[in-house]
Amino acid sequence: MDVWIAGAGMTRFGKRDVALLDLMAEAALAALADASIETPDAIMVAAMNPEEFTGEGNYGSLVGTYLGLSHVPALRVETATSSGMAAVYAGFASLAAGLHRSVLVVGGEKMTQLPTPRVSEIIGRSIDPHERSYGSTMPALAGLITRAAMHERGFVLREISQVAVKNHAHGARNPYAHFQGPVTLEAVMESRVVADPLRLLHCCPISDGAAALVLTTEPASVRIAGIGQGTDSIAVRYRPELTSFRATQAAAEAAYRMAGFGPERVEVAELHDAFAPFELISLEDTGLVPSGKAGRATLDGETAVGGRLPVNPSGGLKARGHPLAATGIAQLVELVWQLRGRAEGRQVPARVALAQSIGGLASNNWVTLLEARR
Amino acid sequence: MDVLAASRCPRCRRIVAPPARLCPDHPVAMEPYQVSAVGEVVSFTTLHSPPEGFRSPLHIAIVELEGGARLFCHGEETRGVKIGSHVSVEDVNSVFYFSHMGFADRARLFWRRAGYRGEKVAAIGKSFVKGFLKGMPGGQD
Repeated sequence: MDVWIAGAGMTRFGKRDVALLDLMAEAALAALADASIETPDAIMVAAMNPEEFTGEGNYGSLVGTYLGLSHVPALRVETATSSGMAAVYAGFASLAAGLHRSVLVVGGEKMTQLPTPRVSEIIGRSIDPHERSYGSTMPALAGLITRAAMHERGFVLREISQVAVKNHAHGARNPYAHFQGPVTLEAVMESRVVADPLRLLHCCPISDGAAALVLTTEPASVRIAGIGQGTDSIAVRYRPELTSFRATQAAAEAAYRMAGFGPERVEVAELHDAFAPFELISLEDTGLVPSGKAGRATLDGETAVGGRLPVNPSGGLKARGHPLAATGIAQLVELVWQLRGRAEGRQVPARVALAQSIGGLASNNWVTLLEARR
Repeated sequence: MDVLAASRCPRCRRIVAPPARLCPDHPVAMEPYQVSAVGEVVSFTTLHSPPEGFRSPLHIAIVELEGGARLFCHGEETRGVKIGSHVSVEDVNSVFYFSHMGFADRARLFWRRAGYRGEKVAAIGKSFVKGFLKGMPGGQD
């Protein structure tokens, strides 16, 4: 059974002096209004660490009750930083199985009220405990991967930095983005070293925000053509390859198989650039760019709005922001707007779109393919 | 030669250190095993704002031991360390530390191994050439 996206909505991302429940409600109500549905058959809630960030738990019931939908079945889905797209998968699966006819998927995170080291520690709990005992944080693991990728795959700092420059330029055209201004290549390359060779402006910010979709079995403007999950060892030391993500490759393969087409039909993509080099790795892992070509394609402007294959027209995690469990849903919200021709200021011509979400340090990844209705 | 406690999968022969209960690739119980405490740097990084409880700067490396097991290690410094550098690994209270092996260390290591195998002359030559190449000053990776 085909699954369609009938409604999309999100909050502005950034430092928001608004409770997580209110952020989720804002996104959910916007998506429901967009779909012209008052009461969905089920609710899938994505939140990565609401207990630690907000002190509140039982988030499925909490969101359902807050929305005035306490009688609607609700559950919470979690796969670390890709929880949002995991919740979309849960919604997709329940519709495809014929359990429901409409599902509200809503995800969000509220983080900026805590000091950065505390946020880093909470996110770091998604790392293998042995590796964490060595002081490994997400930026530390990303630094290890970046150095290996520069050595093995020939990525250079200029290409990596250009990802951040491009995504900031896109974010400046997206009113929902955390960062509303551009950055220069020099500013990125000279920003402070966080985890050598990674610098501060290669890393996504800490953001608050929420995003929501309404999925239906009733045809709407955009169809979920394929969705796939891929996994890998949570322990980075158990992986034979550091510089590509098996979890992305497996997710992409599953999504393409379900869709019945390959990367050649994709015209716009949202990739998980939590760290700028991850966009280059992900471009090649999803097959959107041939192996070894991602850096060059980025420097040549192929992946910018106006280029052959615009990547992260929203600004990506780098500039739109990364409120953890909101991100995978926000990627799809952006792509729905793009496919409907409603991405004002950053519209690209496209009928087929791809979103990729990385969970943890690429231990639980997702790829979703969307297609505009003919 | 120093050895580290490891474990090996009886099905696929995969080795991991420190020892794990089950193979990362199969739900199969691993057997106790030992690996020599020398290897090559797979990657390394330095944190200038490490998490609470760690001194700055914090050097972290992934080291691949002979047999393929990869370890997370701390190090005193990364000056002169490159991807592919030979390092020795020490277990101090269940925490691994790597140290960059100088030319003399590597020569000693090759000598010792060669002595065991009775191929001293060839190994000395190999160690000298390898040491000479690795010891050459080079740019940052």
